[in-house]
Amino acid sequence: MNSSHNQNNAPINTALGEDGLSDQPWWVEQWMELINSYRFKKRLERAWTYAREGKVISIRFEGRRVHARVQGTDLDPYKVKLWLDVLNDEDWSYVLEALTQKARWSAQLLSGVMPSDIERAFAASGKRLFPFKLQEVRSECSCPDKANPCKHISAIYFLMGERFSEDPFVLFQLRGRSRAALLADLADQRLKALANFSNEKNSDKEYETNNQYLPDIPHPAVLEPGLWWSYSSSLSADLVVITPAMEGDTGLDVAGDLPFAQDPKFPEARNLFLSHLSSQGKVLAEQAMIQAMASGG
Amino acid sequence: MSLLHATWLPAIRTPTSSGRPALLVWADTWRVAAPTGPGDTPAKHPFTLSTEELRTWLSDLGLLPEGIIDATACLTLPSRGIRSSNKTSTTNDLLEPTQKRQLDWTGLPLQAGEPVPQKTQWWPWQVQGLAIEPGYATIWLSKLPLSGDHPDLSDELRWWSHLQRWALSIIARGRWLPQVEFSRGEGYPHRARWVPLLNREDDRRRLEELAARLPLVATCALPWREPPGSRANRTTRLRPEAMRAANPVASCRPRSGRLRVANLLEELVDAQLRKGFQPDLTGLDPLLKEWQQALASDTGVISLEDEKVERLAIASNHWREGVAGRVTPARACLELLTPRQGDDFWDLHFLLQAEADPTLKVSASAAWASGSKTLQLGEIRVENPGEVLLEGLGRALTVFPPLERGLETAIPEAMQLTSTEAFVLVRTAANQLRDVGVGVELPNSLSGGLASRLGLAIKAELIESSRGFTLGESLDWSWELMIGGVSLSLRELEHLGQKRSPLVLHKDVWIELRPNDLKNAQRFCTSDPVLSLDDALRLTATEGDIFITLPVHSFEAGPRLQGVLEQYHQQKAPAPLSAPEGFTGQLRPYQERGLGWLAFLHRFDQGACLADDMGLGKTIQLLAFLQHLKCEKELKRPVLLIAPTSVLTNWKREAIAFTPELKVFEHYGPRRPDTIVSFEKALQDINIVLTSYGLMQRDSELLEIIDWQGVVIDEAQAIKNPSAKQSRAVRDISKSNKTSCFKIALTGTPVENRVSELWALMDFLNPNVLGEEDFFRQRYQLPIERYGDMSSLRDLKARVSPFILRRLKTDKAIISDLPEKVELCEWVGLGKEQIALYRKTVEDTLDIIARSPTGQRHGKVLGLLTRLKQICNHPALALKEKVIDEKFILRSQKLQRLEEILEEIIDTNDRAILFTQFAEWGYLLQAYLQCRWNSEVPFLCGSTSKNERQAMIDRFQEDPRGPQLFVLSLKAGGVGLNLTRASHVFHVDRWWNPAVENQATDRAYRIGQDKRVMVHKFITSGSVEEKIDQMIRDKSRLAEDIIGSGEDWLAGLGVDKLRDLVALEHE
Repeated sequence: MNSSHNQNNAPINTALGEDGLSDQPWWVEQWMELINSYRFKKRLERAWTYAREGKVISIRFEGRRVHARVQGTDLDPYKVKLWLDVLNDEDWSYVLEALTQKARWSAQLLSGVMPSDIERAFAASGKRLFPFKLQEVRSECSCPDKANPCKHISAIYFLMGERFSEDPFVLFQLRGRSRAALLADLADQRLKALANFSNEKNSDKEYETNNQYLPDIPHPAVLEPGLWWSYSSSLSADLVVITPAMEGDTGLDVAGDLPFAQDPKFPEARNLFLSHLSSQGKVLAEQAMIQAMASGG
Repeated sequence: MSLLHATWLPAIRTPTSSGRPALLVWADTWRVAAPTGPGDTPAKHPFTLSTEELRTWLSDLGLLPEGIIDATACLTLPSRGIRSSNKTSTTNDLLEPTQKRQLDWTGLPLQAGEPVPQKTQWWPWQVQGLAIEPGYATIWLSKLPLSGDHPDLSDELRWWSHLQRWALSIIARGRWLPQVEFSRGEGYPHRARWVPLLNREDDRRRLEELAARLPLVATCALPWREPPGSRANRTTRLRPEAMRAANPVASCRPRSGRLRVANLLEELVDAQLRKGFQPDLTGLDPLLKEWQQALASDTGVISLEDEKVERLAIASNHWREGVAGRVTPARACLELLTPRQGDDFWDLHFLLQAEADPTLKVSASAAWASGSKTLQLGEIRVENPGEVLLEGLGRALTVFPPLERGLETAIPEAMQLTSTEAFVLVRTAANQLRDVGVGVELPNSLSGGLASRLGLAIKAELIESSRGFTLGESLDWSWELMIGGVSLSLRELEHLGQKRSPLVLHKDVWIELRPNDLKNAQRFCTSDPVLSLDDALRLTATEGDIFITLPVHSFEAGPRLQGVLEQYHQQKAPAPLSAPEGFTGQLRPYQERGLGWLAFLHRFDQGACLADDMGLGKTIQLLAFLQHLKCEKELKRPVLLIAPTSVLTNWKREAIAFTPELKVFEHYGPRRPDTIVSFEKALQDINIVLTSYGLMQRDSELLEIIDWQGVVIDEAQAIKNPSAKQSRAVRDISKSNKTSCFKIALTGTPVENRVSELWALMDFLNPNVLGEEDFFRQRYQLPIERYGDMSSLRDLKARVSPFILRRLKTDKAIISDLPEKVELCEWVGLGKEQIALYRKTVEDTLDIIARSPTGQRHGKVLGLLTRLKQICNHPALALKEKVIDEKFILRSQKLQRLEEILEEIIDTNDRAILFTQFAEWGYLLQAYLQCRWNSEVPFLCGSTSKNERQAMIDRFQEDPRGPQLFVLSLKAGGVGLNLTRASHVFHVDRWWNPAVENQATDRAYRIGQDKRVMVHKFITSGSVEEKIDQMIRDKSRLAEDIIGSGEDWLAGLGVDKLRDLVALEHE
């Protein structure tokens, strides 16, 4: 066995940087576990090499499918398609109903977090969001290799995980609901839940009180045209002295790693991008403070 | 005068233009214009400066920006409809009848500060200006003043400078993330943007503030668009329909809002970061490379395939979502309630709260009930309230995990927290939640404000025997510990501390104990402190001041102490004092209050600055005060009164008139005593010593030796520069005293608003109140003058306000005390040159008159009188000089005094008209005043054309930034004009007929007017002006003659009588 990459049976670490997978979102980890459950280790290793060498030219999420192009031995790149089984409307209605049971799920999705127990909502329909087995990931490749997954497809597997972290809603999309559609459906479900709730409590009037529309209020300047010109406030006290960020408090610090899947050919690209932004940010902050000190004179 | 404006020119993308936004700088000015209306396109704004004029003016102001191009825009402005007099406009004839009817409107755009007509309409106007590209615009905005009224800069420029300062703060704090913006449709490129993050509580509050106060003129522009192909054939006539299509007569709706301001902030932040950012592309993959390059490029355009950009856009958006959500009108809010009796759990309610007004809240159920509809929160509309609430809760979950329990149902409204969780929320999570844009409402006693901290409740009263006027004296007092509004003893505190629970229930109130509380309380108790009147004054001046180790939550003063405190803090004015015995005049009610105030501070041994508006009688109040001291037998030593030379005469006159018992010694002139012995001898039995600032400095050694009872400085702005010799000399004299010496400053300028001058003034009055000069500069002057820091200003005002009394003649309480016209005599002396010239003229001419035949006498006498009056004005006038030089002011005391008074008027933004009977003097005065204040001063005389006259009057009356001073010849301007904008009238020289003067005065005064007019009459003491004035007053013999026949009667006087009349009486 060729052990240049890995110990036998040890999972392949696809972390392209030095830090490993430790700070990856859980769903990326879960995806990698899925891949590592694949039995044909050798093929997997070859695919990994493939991916790292940058043979994957593009990956596109188009509606419910993933389209990719991989440079193989042939002159033209091979075309790879990946897709999951789409949930039908009935399945989705179960999922939506289940998702509505916990406000937290909607709350997390709306603030850009994939809930770690999301599968429990899907369990209601007897379906899953994540494929349970790699076999559930349907695929097609234009290469002559009969085996599925071929190494081109496997190479895509490796890169998909990180692509999920760019946008957690991609998984829903692959299952047949876009972000916008999903959120709209969830809002509808909440209304239904509310209606049930009020029926139970028999006190619907409580919710009706605060929902009368007021006519458009004219802008104050319409009533008092002098306001068109006037501004009499003084500079707010906390803008008097312009202060730098506290340690670890810049937007870049708080936002953390950029959820952007790396091109394997440029293994340091994301780190370089972020560290350059951060060092330039310091320079620009300093310039801003100098400018602020000189201004208002 | 022109006024500079700035408005944002949004990018409108057209096939021919890249559509970059810009800051449009433009200026309007006052001119006469005929009403006009839109034709095919919006009408040209008739008051704007051309771009050439604007460039010149901006360079004069030192504000010419870089990176500018000429630009035109359509600005929507409030306008005044006026029927046009000529209705046959040629452009209108070209229009079809329907359009003609539509565009029939004519009028003029309003200007800032102009009185608003009853009915205002909004119309678009074509405005020319200079467009600054965003990067340079931010540099330019940084240079604008952050505070204060600049006569050339409009209000909205200050709004812009505040917005830019916020942008700088965002950059300094690194509160931004780069983003990729996917094209919004055809014509919009994909762009890389630097986006500010507005999740922090203070940034969100600032957004609301700037949005609520946005002057709409800052965002009322649409770019002017050249129709395609027009550039090439500029000379040929543009097709009107193409212009109309490109620039329809359309107005911007007046909208304001957080979204608009957030966008402007983004533009400023983006422009600056873009300009400064140096890309480094090594090791980047093609996508990140392109993104980084676009972040540094001028336009930010990303040229990659759509799907790649979309990928970047989604990833960068997802990245940002983790830190900051969208800008919405409402946010999620968590409200913590204290446990019910006997319960251990704390209720946490979920609410939706308006960003603009945190008191506007609705329960989560109302948000759920709205579904995807709109929710009305007071006047604020919230779209998709359920999602706004959920998104906020999702964000809250990331910093406050216990929340997870509360979100396990479909439509949660509240949850319960354990006391440990509640403590975490109170102590740390509340701030973190606010930082991610979630509102938190805590019970009052735990809200983290000062009241929720351990502090003191103090009760105090004056000691039985005290009069309450010595600052160092100690008080009878008692205290209790207090927290969250309830009192507790040290033992209770120790007991509660043993509970090892940071949130404890005490007397039915939940309070939070902090680690150092017990230690601080113990230290305070063991220090056995004394409370002095000083401390009491300080602690009651500002809220939450610290006493020893603890903040003071409440201060309860006994009735006697309360009386002293109220007076000291000016909550209650000191009791007024009526005119003392021996004062031969009447005090108006507000003057009695002023006298009471002076006496009050004197008892406290504190210096006082009487800063009443000009004309309210500061001199009289001071003289009454000195007479009051005399009556109380407290005036034992002489008082030194220092004033500008030009008002010394006035002081002497008033002292003689009002306080004849007070002995005045004038320490000026060549024969003043110059040795200690002779000086002390001269001061025997003297009450007031008058001297000038110049002599005070020259004779300082002599003056310092005298043990003054008090030092009074008039026109106290003379010591505004603390390091000037004059200021130091004044301070030295007042400080050199062995025994205590009262200090009073008089000034008519708004002294409390002049931060830089306050220190010198207070250092004279009450040293130490404002600390050392360096400290003062760092603590107050820089923050206030540079940045307009209001909290420092408030603090400063609180510190000095007990010592400054300023009443304005416009105050309601004062107006009722004042007659509608207040006549003020300004007594002035003559300078050396004036005296010599005056004497020579009298001698030479009287001889000639005596020898002249009767027939020619008449003319000669009048000639003499005219010449003497000219000399009193200025020697240059008598000598027929036409040019003014630097020494011009020094040659006339009248002009010096006039300048001093005008300075106060200009400072207080009043307007004044000045009458003279000499056209030549009018020209000289005009030239001098224009040069002195570097601004236009019109002069209206007999040779002014009718059109010019009207333009001058209109500008003075109507132009909000029109001239403040207006010189008129008595004959040409004395009748028929309406100049009611003026609140001061000057009669620079006297006319013999009071009726003529009164008529002129009435130009500024109209019956029923709600303001008061100050009439200043200049009288040169000892000269013919004084004699005539005396005669006019002394109506007994000559009044009829004078009023009946002008100056003619003078010619009939015999030479001896004439000599009496004109001879200079030297005092």
